[in-house]
Amino acid sequence: MLEPIKKNWRILLLVVVVIGSSVALFAPGFGPEPAPGENASEAKQGITNLQYGLDLAGGTRVRAPLSGYTATGVAFGGDSPGAVAEAVAAELDNASTRNVGVVPEESAVEVTEPSVTEAQFRAAMDAAGYEYEQIRSGVTSETRQETINVIQGKINEAGLSGGTVQQVQSITGEYFILVEVPGQGRQEVIDLLEERGTVRIDIAYPEGNGTAVQEGVLIQDDFEEIGTATQRDRGTGAYVPVTVRNTAPDGEQSPAHAFQAAVVQRGFPQAYESRGDTCRYNPETGETTTPCLLLVVDGDVVNSFGMAPDLADSMARGSWAETGNFRLTTGNFSEARSISLNLRAGALPAELDISGRGTSSSISAAQGENFRTYSLVIGVLSVFAVAGMVFLRYREPRVALPMIVTALVEVYALLGFAALLGYPLELAVIAGFIAVVGTGVDDLVIIADEVMSEGEVNSRTVFDSRFRRAFWVIGAAAATTIIAMSPLMVLSLGDLSGFAIFTVLGVLIGVLITRPAYGDILRRLLTVK
Amino acid sequence: MVAIEVPAINYTDYSNRQLAAVPLAFLVLALAIIGGWFVATGAPANLGLEFTGGVELRVTDDGDNVEQRIRTAFDREPDAIQTIPAQTLPGDDDVVVVTFQASQNDPEGLANDLQGQAEAAGFNTTAVDQVSPSFASDTARTALFGVALAFFGMSVLVFALFRTFIPSLAVIASAFSDLVIPIAAMNLLGIEMTLGTIAALLMIIGYSVDSDILLNDSVLRRTGGFYESVSRAMRTGVTMTLTSIAAMVVMAVVAWVFGIGLLRDIGIILSVGLCADLMNTYLMNVSLLRWYKFEEGGR
Repeated sequence: MLEPIKKNWRILLLVVVVIGSSVALFAPGFGPEPAPGENASEAKQGITNLQYGLDLAGGTRVRAPLSGYTATGVAFGGDSPGAVAEAVAAELDNASTRNVGVVPEESAVEVTEPSVTEAQFRAAMDAAGYEYEQIRSGVTSETRQETINVIQGKINEAGLSGGTVQQVQSITGEYFILVEVPGQGRQEVIDLLEERGTVRIDIAYPEGNGTAVQEGVLIQDDFEEIGTATQRDRGTGAYVPVTVRNTAPDGEQSPAHAFQAAVVQRGFPQAYESRGDTCRYNPETGETTTPCLLLVVDGDVVNSFGMAPDLADSMARGSWAETGNFRLTTGNFSEARSISLNLRAGALPAELDISGRGTSSSISAAQGENFRTYSLVIGVLSVFAVAGMVFLRYREPRVALPMIVTALVEVYALLGFAALLGYPLELAVIAGFIAVVGTGVDDLVIIADEVMSEGEVNSRTVFDSRFRRAFWVIGAAAATTIIAMSPLMVLSLGDLSGFAIFTVLGVLIGVLITRPAYGDILRRLLTVK
Repeated sequence: MVAIEVPAINYTDYSNRQLAAVPLAFLVLALAIIGGWFVATGAPANLGLEFTGGVELRVTDDGDNVEQRIRTAFDREPDAIQTIPAQTLPGDDDVVVVTFQASQNDPEGLANDLQGQAEAAGFNTTAVDQVSPSFASDTARTALFGVALAFFGMSVLVFALFRTFIPSLAVIASAFSDLVIPIAAMNLLGIEMTLGTIAALLMIIGYSVDSDILLNDSVLRRTGGFYESVSRAMRTGVTMTLTSIAAMVVMAVVAWVFGIGLLRDIGIILSVGLCADLMNTYLMNVSLLRWYKFEEGGR
C-alpha cells in the first residue's frame, strides 16, 4: 500500500498542488474580501476567486508622500507634548497647534501645514529653544499610520470594495502612501481623499414624553485643538482632549460660551450630579431620558456622551468657557481614537502631496476588462506556440505532451497562489506567468534531453543518475533567476514587485514540485514498456 | 512535417578570434548606439513617463483627424502623440496616447486640467497617468539600482557555482551583452524604457544564464571531448531558446494586435535579447571556453 505512494510521491504531490489550487481558485471562502454592504459573490470578479489589479479591472492608484517636516531626536527638556507644540506653533506664523504634532515615543516634532517651509520650521524649532538632531521631510510614523486609518475609513465608508491603502518606502527612505481603488476614476478618488466630512456635536434631551435634539452646538471650526486619543491613567477607558475656541469677533458669542449656555439650558448640571449618572441615549431609537452630547459624523450619530459632574458644575458656574477644555470620554482606546479621527474631520492628519511629489494613474473599467480578455488570449496563444515548438522538436507525444501539461500546471498552481494570497493580477504579473511557462519548458527540455541522451533508458538507476545531472543545471539556473529577481521583490517599484514575486514563486514551484514530477512521469513512460 | 534540427556548427573551421568577432562587433555597436543616445538626448534610452514625470492621457475618439484635433484641444502643446490603431474587434476606436512632459511652473492640478480639456473637446479618456518629476527621478534611481543589484547577484552566484574565472566571466559577459543589445534595439525601435521593459530586461538575465550554465556544465563538468560537449549542450540549449523566442514572438504579435503596449514591448525585447543570447552563447561563450580549455590549459 505504502510502496506505490513512496515510489510516486512526486506525482502525487503534483496532484495535491493541482487540487489545492482548484480549491483556492473556485471554492467559496477564498474570494476577495467583500466591502461593507456587499456580499461575497458580488465581490467576486468573474467565475474564479482571482482578484485583478488596476491594469485589468480599471481603477485609480495614487501614490504620494505626506506634506510636512519632522524634527527628530528632539530634547523636550521635561516639557509636556502640549507645551512643546504650543511653543513651536507660536513661532510659526502660518501654523497653529493643530498643525504641530509632538510624538514623545519618537522624540519627534512635526509640522503638517504644507505652506511651512523647512527653513521656517528650523527657525521655529530654534526659536522655541528645543534642540534636535535633524529635520527631514515627511511626518512621523504615528501620523502616517493615522492617515492610513483615516483613508481606509473613507474608502470603507464609501463602500468601495477592494480599495487598499498602505505605506511604502522608497529607496531614499522617504515614505509614500499608496492608495488603490478599483473601479473609480482619478477625480473621484482624489475628491474622496480631499473631501472633509462634516462633524458636529448635537445635544439630545428629553422634552415632554419624547426626545428633542439641538443640532450643531459645536461644529468642526469651533474646536481650537483636538488632541490625540489618550489612555486613562487609572482604570479602563480613554478620552480625547479637546479645546473649544473661546474668542470671537466683537459683539458675538464665542463658541465656548455658546456651548456652555446650551449645556446649562438643556439641564446637564441637574442630570449629572454624581459619578453614577450616565448618558441614557438609545442609539437604536434615538430616544433619551437624560441630556446627552451626540457626536455626529456626516449626519450619523457615531457616539453619545454624558458629562462628568465637576465639568457640568463649572459650566453651570460659567467658568468653563474661560479655558474651553474638556475631554470626550469613551469606553476604550480604539473608540477614542476613532472619535479623534472623526473630529479631525475627514481632514487627513497630514496632506497628501499628489501633484508635487506624487503619482496617480487611472484606467477605465472598460479598458481593464478588455485587457483581461486580451491577456488571457495572449497567454493561451503563447502556450500554444511553446507547445508547437516542443512537438516539432521531439515529435513524440510521450515526451512532449507531459511537458506541456506540466508547464500548464505550473501556471495553474501560480494562479491558485494568487487567489490564496489575494494578490491582484496585473499585466506585469501576466508577463511573469509567461516568463514562468518559458523557463519551465526550458527546464523540462533539459530534463528530457539529458534523460534520453546516450541511448535507451532501461533501468531506474540510469534514469536517476541522469535526472540528477540535469537537475544540477536546473537548480543553478533557478538560483540565478531567484537572485536576479529578489531585489525587485522588496524595492518599491510598483508593478515590478508583483512580476518579481510571481516569477520567483513560479521558479520555486517548478523546481520543487512540477519539474521533479515531470521527471517521474517521463521515467514511467520511458522505462515501463 | 517540419522538424527542428539544431544545426551543428563545425567550430574547428573557425579560430577563437573569428568566433568572438561577430558578437563583439554587435556589442560594440550596441554600446555605441547607447552612448550616442546619451550624448544626444542626455539619457541612455527613451525614458518613459515613469522615469521622466509628466501626464499621459489615453483617449479614444471615433471621428476623423484625431491628431489634429488633439493638438488644438489642450492649452499646452502635447510633447508626444501616439496613435494605436483601432483593434480588429468591432466597435473599437483608435486609442491615442497623449504625453505631456512635467511642467515645473504649474504642477498643481495639471492632470485634472488636461483631463477636463480632453473631455471638453469630446474625447473619451480611458486612462490618466500623472507622475511628478521628483518621484520619477527617484523611480529611475531605484530601477537602475535594482537592475545593477540583480546583475551583481547573478554574477556572484555564477562565480560560486563554477569557481573558475574564465568560464564564469564568459557567462557574465554574455549576460551583459544580452542586456545591452536589446537596450540599443529599443532605442532604434522607439520603445520607451518603462518599468515593464525593465522587467523584460531582468527576464533576459534569467533566460540567458540558463543556456550559458548548460554549456559550461556540459563542457566543464561532464566527460567527453570539447566539441562533443558543446554540440550536446547546443542541442538542448538551442531548443530551449527557440521555444522561448516562439512564445515571445507570439506574445509580441498578439499584444500588438490588441494594443497592449506593455506586453508587446516585453515580447519584442525578449525576442531580441534571446536572439542575442543565441549568438553570444554559441559564438562568444564557446570561443572563450575553447580558449580556456586548450590554451589556458584548463587542467
